[in-house]
Amino acid sequence: MFQPDALIEAFHLFFTPQVFYWLAIGIALGVGIGAIPGLTATTGVALMLPISFALPVAPALGLLIGLYKGAIYGGSISAISFGIPGTPGAAATVYDGYKLTQKGQGRKALDMALFASVTGDSLSDIFTIFVAPVVAIVALAFGPTERFWLMALAIILIGALGGKHLAMGLISAAIGIFVATIGSDPIGGVSRMTFGQWWLMDGIHIIPLMIGIFAMPVMLVEAAKLLGERGIAKRARESISKAPWKTGPGLTFREYRRAWKEMAIGTSVGSFVGMLPGLGATVAAFLSYGVAKQVSPQKGIGTGKLEGVAACESGNNATCGPTLIPLLAFGIPGSPVAALIGAALMLQGATPSPRMFDLYPHIVYALFMILLVGNVFNLVIGRLFARLYAMLAQFPKPLLIPLILMIATIGTYAFRGNPYDVIVMVVFGLLGFGMTVIEMPTAPLIIAFLVTSMMEANLRRALLITGGSWGQAVFGSPLAIGLIIAVIVLVFLTVRYLQRVER
Amino acid sequence: MQSFRERLKTNRAIGVILSLALIAFLIQLFLSPWVYRKLADGFHLGFFPILSVVLLLLLSLILTFDSHRKEKPADLMTLTFKSFLGVLLILGGCGFYFLVMRQIGFLIITPIFLFLTIYALGLKSWWKCIMGAVVMTAVVYTIFSLLGLKLPSGILSGILFF
Repeated sequence: MFQPDALIEAFHLFFTPQVFYWLAIGIALGVGIGAIPGLTATTGVALMLPISFALPVAPALGLLIGLYKGAIYGGSISAISFGIPGTPGAAATVYDGYKLTQKGQGRKALDMALFASVTGDSLSDIFTIFVAPVVAIVALAFGPTERFWLMALAIILIGALGGKHLAMGLISAAIGIFVATIGSDPIGGVSRMTFGQWWLMDGIHIIPLMIGIFAMPVMLVEAAKLLGERGIAKRARESISKAPWKTGPGLTFREYRRAWKEMAIGTSVGSFVGMLPGLGATVAAFLSYGVAKQVSPQKGIGTGKLEGVAACESGNNATCGPTLIPLLAFGIPGSPVAALIGAALMLQGATPSPRMFDLYPHIVYALFMILLVGNVFNLVIGRLFARLYAMLAQFPKPLLIPLILMIATIGTYAFRGNPYDVIVMVVFGLLGFGMTVIEMPTAPLIIAFLVTSMMEANLRRALLITGGSWGQAVFGSPLAIGLIIAVIVLVFLTVRYLQRVER
Repeated sequence: MQSFRERLKTNRAIGVILSLALIAFLIQLFLSPWVYRKLADGFHLGFFPILSVVLLLLLSLILTFDSHRKEKPADLMTLTFKSFLGVLLILGGCGFYFLVMRQIGFLIITPIFLFLTIYALGLKSWWKCIMGAVVMTAVVYTIFSLLGLKLPSGILSGILFF
């Protein structure tokens, strides 16, 4: 239900110099992080999480959401300039973007990437603003049994769809469930799985876990490559710096308008894909690219066309807002960044749940404003500094890796001054490195970790309501059975599709 | 004919190693008294931990036998013992850096840590390493100070402006 008082309070929260300042910083940092190959939006948001804790809620959301939006767009800068995607979501942009640079139309391509990103992002944010409250109303009708299955099935979906190998994704999710049981049970607070260590009685804290799993492994894998293949890495760097920077004329309004169909495809696909747990910007970009190519074969998408860039970039940026819908409506993060933003909200005292629109409507409305206004900042900063960011994409890895590791270490400690958090970060950094090397996705671990205690609490509530009857508690709801069937069908279809693609 | 080392890098080998470790851990769990403790609502304390380990074990067995069992992850294939050791050293270095930082202070140990890591990762120009280490330390310290996040000052804590 729309609350005008909360909207006025949200205006007061949002329209402050501090929010604009941190939103701008978030976007500027995010575009830079996205432009540097090897760094992702998830890494950047994870590193900024301890810093966001020092800020009030609205500036903190401005920083993190700004960083996320900026990074998703920033990946296209390196993809177009050097043929190397800055982020996984920009991989599809390479097909047309880099060819355009080689034809001397690099500046047009960069302009199209920016305008298409902002267009897709803005329209999908409006979609989010209208859809999230409606889904939240539906979510309120869910009882403990339905919520238990929704969370269990979100974990299964994210594990199954999180990578190309079903078993690997589900193992990652199962590790997340295991880690979440360390500390104490969520209802009675009784200690369990502490391995005799008193400092584990409070459980594993989300910040060192996220930094260890999201920020450290990426840098450790790059470090391993540098240490193992130093000569090859050096040759690769030399070839990048020698690549000719071709600018050429900028994008005209007519050219932008001509790509309206591809942007519409990207926005629609991105919004839908963004809402679903486990898929994300990369899937959205490739799907948008594939659909646009099929719908308009005469345009020659894939041979160096602006329309190709428009489809990919509007597709990947259109996931930014909708990825928050499961978080805001159900309290279940559907992506790593949603999990990070959810953690930030928790740290600020606003735990995401189906009652979020009732308990913290001012925060939700402020978040919506940040989503919308962030696009304007993205447009301005991207327009002014695109060439500077292209130079940043060549930031030497021997400097970048120690910087990120240092920020990760001190950020983990500085957040609450607990030295054991650094131990946790190092342990999970090693685990994350191992998972990355064997191609096990790390996102399902985090999402399962965040959701497990709520899942256990709901199961136990359901058991209390049904007087200890497991059959009734677990299968006593037609809606829950419907959810189970829907996910089985979805996973089955996805596995069949992946098998067909492999053949 | 695959060498033993190459066979160890397949998904099947990963699944086997995981399964053996999990069986051992599951036995250890079942031998722990706290697992059987009944809580006020009738739930057993060890239910979810055991469920997670059983799920892990089942999935590891699937990994051992599914259609991807013979695949070798690309990054694992290129990972050498030297580079793995390097990663362990870097992680250990982060831990050591943190321990020393609490005693000596951020401003003293951080440039040293950064210099050593930058040099180890391949930037062999001394002055670039030193400049990079000092500049990055100064920038990060400034940002954290502006945010009000206190970093360990260590032996410099007696000096007025730290």
